[in-house]
Amino acid sequence: MGARPAPVGPGVTPVHLVELLAVLAAAVPPPPEQRTGQLRGAARLVRELLRHHKRTFAIAVGGASVFAGCTVASSFVIGLVVDRVIEPRFAEGTVDAATVAAVLGLLVLVGVVRAIGVVVRRTWAGRTNWGVSDRYTAEVVDRVVEQPATWHRRQTTGDLITRAGPDAEAASAVLGPLPYACGTVALLVISAVWLVVTDVVLGAAAVAVFPVLIGVNVVYQRRVERYFHRAQEEIGKLSAAVHESFDGVHVVKAFGAERRETERLAVIASRLRQERMETVRLRSVFEALLDFVPSAVNIGLLVAGAYRVRSGDLTTGELLGFVYLFTLLVLPLRIIGYALSEMPHSQAGLARIRALLEDPLDPDPASAIGRVEGGPVELVGVEVSHDGDRVVLDDVEVRVAPGSTVVVVGPTGSGKTTVLDVIAGLVPVRSGTVRVPSGPVAMVFQEPFLLAGSIRENVTLGAAVGDDEVAQALALAEADFVHELPDGLATEIGERGVGLSGGQRQRIALARALVRRPSLLLLDDTTSALDPSTEAKVLANLRANLTGTTVVAVASRPSTIALADEVVYLVGGRVVAHGSHDELMIANAEYRELIQAFEHDRAELADGPADAPVTAVRPGQGEGWEA
Amino acid sequence: MTEPLSRWSTVETIGRGVQEAPVLRSGFGITLGLAMLGAAGRVSVPILVQQAIDRGFGDDEVDVGLVWTLGIVALLVTSFASVCQRTAVKRLGVRSEEALYALRVRLFEHIHRLSIADHNEERKGALVARVTSDVETLAMFFSWGALAWLLESTVMVVVAAVMLAYDWVLALVAFVVAAPLVLVLQRVQRHLLRAYDRAREDNAQVLTSISEVVAGAETLRTYGAGPRYAESTKRLSRRRSRSFVRAGTIGAFLFPSGEVFSVLTVAAVVSVGVWRGPDSGLTAGAMIGFVFLTYRFLEPIAQFTEVIDQTQTAVAGLRRVLGVLEIPVGPPEPRRPVALPVGHLGIDIEHVTFTYPSRGDDDEGPVLLDVTAHIPPGQQVALVGETGSGKTTLGRLVARLADPSSGVVRLGGVPLTSVANDELRARLVVVPQEPFLFEGSIAANLVFARPMLSLDDVEAVVRDLGLGDWLEGLPEGLDTEVGQRGANLSAGERQLVALVRAALVDPDVLVLDEATSSVDALTEVRMSRALDRLSAGRTTIAIAHRLSTAARADRVLVLEHGRLVEDGPHADLLQRSGAYSRMYQAWVAATST
Repeated sequence: MGARPAPVGPGVTPVHLVELLAVLAAAVPPPPEQRTGQLRGAARLVRELLRHHKRTFAIAVGGASVFAGCTVASSFVIGLVVDRVIEPRFAEGTVDAATVAAVLGLLVLVGVVRAIGVVVRRTWAGRTNWGVSDRYTAEVVDRVVEQPATWHRRQTTGDLITRAGPDAEAASAVLGPLPYACGTVALLVISAVWLVVTDVVLGAAAVAVFPVLIGVNVVYQRRVERYFHRAQEEIGKLSAAVHESFDGVHVVKAFGAERRETERLAVIASRLRQERMETVRLRSVFEALLDFVPSAVNIGLLVAGAYRVRSGDLTTGELLGFVYLFTLLVLPLRIIGYALSEMPHSQAGLARIRALLEDPLDPDPASAIGRVEGGPVELVGVEVSHDGDRVVLDDVEVRVAPGSTVVVVGPTGSGKTTVLDVIAGLVPVRSGTVRVPSGPVAMVFQEPFLLAGSIRENVTLGAAVGDDEVAQALALAEADFVHELPDGLATEIGERGVGLSGGQRQRIALARALVRRPSLLLLDDTTSALDPSTEAKVLANLRANLTGTTVVAVASRPSTIALADEVVYLVGGRVVAHGSHDELMIANAEYRELIQAFEHDRAELADGPADAPVTAVRPGQGEGWEA
Repeated sequence: MTEPLSRWSTVETIGRGVQEAPVLRSGFGITLGLAMLGAAGRVSVPILVQQAIDRGFGDDEVDVGLVWTLGIVALLVTSFASVCQRTAVKRLGVRSEEALYALRVRLFEHIHRLSIADHNEERKGALVARVTSDVETLAMFFSWGALAWLLESTVMVVVAAVMLAYDWVLALVAFVVAAPLVLVLQRVQRHLLRAYDRAREDNAQVLTSISEVVAGAETLRTYGAGPRYAESTKRLSRRRSRSFVRAGTIGAFLFPSGEVFSVLTVAAVVSVGVWRGPDSGLTAGAMIGFVFLTYRFLEPIAQFTEVIDQTQTAVAGLRRVLGVLEIPVGPPEPRRPVALPVGHLGIDIEHVTFTYPSRGDDDEGPVLLDVTAHIPPGQQVALVGETGSGKTTLGRLVARLADPSSGVVRLGGVPLTSVANDELRARLVVVPQEPFLFEGSIAANLVFARPMLSLDDVEAVVRDLGLGDWLEGLPEGLDTEVGQRGANLSAGERQLVALVRAALVDPDVLVLDEATSSVDALTEVRMSRALDRLSAGRTTIAIAHRLSTAARADRVLVLEHGRLVEDGPHADLLQRSGAYSRMYQAWVAATST
């Protein structure tokens, strides 16, 4: 079921509204059970939402009001049909043709205008709703882009996506049914006035039923929602269990546990069934009740009306107009409860969006970095801590002469990547200074990030670069496989570059960095996903072509380390030693051991991705020994 | 995923669906009958109006007593109808929930029994979607669409019958004038569906784009491309909104068309009725009742257009669900199982060829080609080869996670196809490359292998493998929570859990898919110690990614492009200067600096 926003209004079943709720409820936590100041909160919410969209909203409400007026008018016309056309013809035997034409013409006219009112309301309600949603999406996305890496590292991806997408939709969702709700209020007021004016006694009796019907709907609405949330939770649990179980299918099969797993999942599914059954029971009662009450009221109106007609206070036509109007009111009365129930969801969505927008901008660490034309990369007394206390880098001094290559080596958790992050301006330093050469800086992350789009787009990231340069960068990164792909540079790669192997993705990410002819290139274990011979070629290309570029790399493979003019050996966030690889091998026993451990890792026969799939590797696409 | 059912018509699909969940059929006639009676509630007011006008509201005098009597009768009928309606709704709801439950369990069972080849990365997401979102579209349909079809169609039938009973000429006039509404609504509906499809696609793109801007924030920032991609997200978002507004505008015509047709039909009915007059036997009450009935008659049509979309979505979901049930299950259980001999088991691989079931048109060719090898009981064998050489597949065939396309694998002389699954799993255990841990405690993950085992037994086995010190180092021993997919443990520790799991089964044959990920030195030591103890005395096939493993084995099988090219001990193979020694030299060259 897609997130189809329910068109709201008559002609739309309440069914759709609940469905909409279903979609929203999946994204929004259940609203807090606070009722105080709800109306004022609602008014504030609507004012806030409509800041820039008052006109479209006003048009929608106008359409809804036209609908309301015509609804009451149509019941008046039905009265005329009875009193002026049917009664005369059947009681007196004759009726003026012109009268028939006039009354029926009026009937059709009112019907058509009423229909137009609905079209206007729904169209402009949609425009308001989506206009507002759009604005929030844009504001959130802008903010997300504006915030530096430090802020991003405190957020979870899923949460940010939810705020920019589903939350923005939820926040504005109340605007869809709101014009309808306004129209319904107008309808109720006009109806009440008309009913009371036509016949005080009967009118008052009919109007008294309004709140009862609304009340029943609201109660039903709340209770159903409660069950609904519980069922939704069960669905969540079931999905998680199914995911896990199918993920672990190898284990399940290896131990012949298929039956056990099926039984385990069946138990979870049966809890979902149980919750749903409760909903079914509740619904069956209320559905029937909501059909019964209006019918019963209509029957009562007719019986009571008989007295009024007998006493001459009311014509038969007017009485039937009453009955007819009441039939028309049933649906709006049912729906108004649903319309208002959007409020808490919208409030929750808006609150989450505002929290994000009002979160102050993190200071950008990059702005604290000094840039010197043709200068070295310099870290002086750099200290970095996470969460305020855990020291990640402690008094780190690094100097990389312009155009030279430094490799940072160290055991897991020694702070290697953080050194690159500091140089790239992604992570702030607590104390110390950082200087880099001016000009383009390019960083290739350990996990290459590719966007959905063509390979060309992924290399250029929108920068004005010609195809020649792209091809050249790809060649340097040993990513010539691109030319063998069906559409060459224009080949679309899926979301996050699905369809390419880890090594291929890494090489495209490298080309992205190289195409910028960076004055400073940062490589975070970039070549580790490549097979040895490809890696060797890439490294040779870098060595031959990056003469003017300063390179700082994190590496664990001896072959990469050998590329360095200088090695910085990092342990526990401190620079323990630096010098050439050979010097360190001789001078530092610890370093020697580490390198040997790395070499041990290299004793892998196949350098394929660790999760080598069952599927046969197609020639030219696998990261094996083919290169 | 191949979907042989995709060409099934809607009716065929629903028929198959009912077959899979027969509970839907049971007592459906009664439910339908109750819904019919329930629909009587909707005609009670028009009939009351007719009766009251014709009999109670005379020319000069109103017979209040009669109107009272009629009112009470109508109230009783309406009450009865409401009870019937409630029962019908409940029956339908309960039955459909039972059907969905049954369908889910069928799916769980079937999917778990599918061959491992059907569980690859590409298909996994699809399989999960079948059991969750596709079944949910059915659930949505049953709670709303199916209900609307049931209730509204019975209302239409009952109202039409009452109209015909009052005056068949007027009824026909109403039907004829209203008929084009169906065509109009169909047209609108078609446009609407297309517009919503478009809008949903646009929406999916917006979400993709947002997720890229979010997940790629650091990359985009380092390349200064953030604002540019934010713009493109906003552009997509605006396009999405336009699509939804467009769809909404089309949808806005659904109700109004019904409204316009209602007034036209009423006008036509009144015109014809008035023209024919009382001489035709028509009464004022019947005329007025007719006006009310006409509105009632047209109401359901608008409702149908609202649920058509949902119905189509549900049928599509059902079709996909049935498609999964059509996939033949993995290695089938033998009809007459043969017991494995007691004691150590040898493995005979005879002329084994294997081709993965093709997806699409590209022929991928065999992964294994005519492989033959005889492994005596207790031998330690290493399978060696490049990625794609077929070594992993061969390991899987020995473990009967799939059956060879041709050729046979024997265990203790018995063809694997004749061994009962339960017995096979008790005698042969696979230790996968990336061991999978379920969320829960270490103990729960271990006991998964043999649910009947006590914690003491488990602990004893852990110590037997020389992992006592590891166990003591764990924060809560065997009760330590492993987290989602074992995330709280290191890769090496997950391997240890997998080894213990295998040891708990105490199998005769081990198939080890060696890990490629590097682990810290201490775990490395523990792992090789545990591995040595585990494989001692058992026939072992190790899918080796490390040369050191191959060197330690009794015998090395070298695979190249699906063929067995070399077979012998490490030392012998080195001297042959064949494929194995080439690999060895490449490794030496790559690791020296």
